[in-house]
Amino acid sequence: MGIGDGKEILDAKVEAGDFSSGGETSSKLKDLLRKLGIPAKVIRKIAIITYELEINIIIHSEGGNLSAEVTSEKIDIIASDCGPGIDNVEQAFKPGYSTASESIREMGFGAGMGLCNIKNYADDLEVETELGEGTTIIASVYLK
Amino acid sequence: MSDLHSVLLNEDKCEGCTNCVKNCPTDAIRVHQGQAIIKDQKCIDCGECVRSCQHHAKEVTTDELDNIEVYNYPIVIVAPSFYGQFTKEIDPVKVVIAFKELGFEEVWDAALGAEALTKKTAQYLQKSEGPVISSSCPTIVRLVKLLYPELIEYLAPFKSPVDLIAQRAKNRAMEEENIAEEDIGVFFITPCPAKMSTVDNPLGLEKSYLDGAIAVDKIYRKLLKKVKAMDEEIKEENYEAPYLGISWGKRGGEADLLAKENTISISGIQNVISILDELDRGDLPEIKYFELVSCEPGCVGGVLNVKNPFLAQFNIENLIKKQDKFIEQDLSKYDFELDKDFSPNTVAPLDNDFESAMAKLTELEKEIDELPGLDCAACGAPDCRTLAEDIINGLAKRSDCIFILRQQLAELTDEMSSLAHSLPPIIQKEEENKDED
Repeated sequence: MGIGDGKEILDAKVEAGDFSSGGETSSKLKDLLRKLGIPAKVIRKIAIITYELEINIIIHSEGGNLSAEVTSEKIDIIASDCGPGIDNVEQAFKPGYSTASESIREMGFGAGMGLCNIKNYADDLEVETELGEGTTIIASVYLK
Repeated sequence: MSDLHSVLLNEDKCEGCTNCVKNCPTDAIRVHQGQAIIKDQKCIDCGECVRSCQHHAKEVTTDELDNIEVYNYPIVIVAPSFYGQFTKEIDPVKVVIAFKELGFEEVWDAALGAEALTKKTAQYLQKSEGPVISSSCPTIVRLVKLLYPELIEYLAPFKSPVDLIAQRAKNRAMEEENIAEEDIGVFFITPCPAKMSTVDNPLGLEKSYLDGAIAVDKIYRKLLKKVKAMDEEIKEENYEAPYLGISWGKRGGEADLLAKENTISISGIQNVISILDELDRGDLPEIKYFELVSCEPGCVGGVLNVKNPFLAQFNIENLIKKQDKFIEQDLSKYDFELDKDFSPNTVAPLDNDFESAMAKLTELEKEIDELPGLDCAACGAPDCRTLAEDIINGLAKRSDCIFILRQQLAELTDEMSSLAHSLPPIIQKEEENKDED
């Protein structure tokens, strides 16, 4: 089953630099998944992935969108942003690799664990990126 | 009151306002027909409804002092926070003696169990990889079971100080004093409804070692009278106050004793929820131990206490300056292990069948769009989203919303008015003829 087969249960705009709202989307998604009876372990993975994606949009992009699609087999989280794109995808997924500015790091973000965490928790991961245009990341978690 | 919880509604006092509904951290309360109803499954015994009810309609059922007479050998367990109810000049030893004068055979400090648990936890933290959440506040354990089931594995897998001491005291009385189990009654002096609830509905145990709990505010005056009447120089043999354990009665006490670890102390249920949300979104590797307590600032803030929470905190801080060492005790006298793992207590999904749940979720989103989103709680639910969910689950109707009802009435009135003005054809004809004349 590919992307677009599932039912969209969440579609949220994420503003660049909006740290105060960071985490709202992942909390909302967590609540929705619980209403669907998704197992706690899966919800935790999704919550972590969604939060990291949300924070990435806030820190690195000029704004973007987070959505979630659900089927009886898996959940896809789709994060797409307008932004700088990722120069070296392989390197970006290495733990500790960060392009975040000093000021972002001072806020306790940008430790270079975000993409690496997403990779650890997602069962499937697709990254499409174009320099100067933006990035779309699709992370999938299987229910079984 | 059900067997599960100790908060009870006094129907005569309940005005049907929605203060409790709006202050409940788990959306467990609804007002129906002018009366607040607590949903058993969602209640975590935090006491916020007791705190927020201006009509004092939320009462906590605890035991009376007279109830101890049922037992030949009553034992009392004093909460660390209890010492915050007294000023510095009242020595803990007087409190202990006063309890004996009130009829208890033995007086035990939960603080002694707290000291033992501190040592056990320190050992456990050395071995454990992940973060550890304190399991000593029953409300926090119930909160995690209900809303953060994915974090259950982080809860410290040990009995609380009260349970540790209750078990130790009961076993000691049986073995060393040769008292039959049914003759022993172990009572806790409780600052909160949460500990009361653990008597009938224990956490991680098959059966509680407590036989009852008496609210601080029910025993305080009687005890203070005895204490005040006591000779200044009174002494009790074989009693040493566990001052370090007593520090558990206020926020930070528990975590401060684990000085070697990176700990965080959070009190107040909404503050705890905010940190659990953070933990839920990803580990916080810099923090090893989470001291989380439902009341602010710690157990001294329990709703059954007498003194202002911050004054009680001040009293404890003063008291614990007297000692900086743990009481020497043999840890093998305690059985720290739980009888069973903490289990999730999550609210049921919209439907057990995935497809039906999905369909209901769509319905729910539509229902939310229909409602005004003002979260006024006049419907008896805490906010519009919760009302929408109740509607989907068949527990409420859309016209429970006063704005929708008003709109429906306006539409109906318009329709009635236009009906009243539309005349039957035969009369219309006559009217036209009249005009021509």
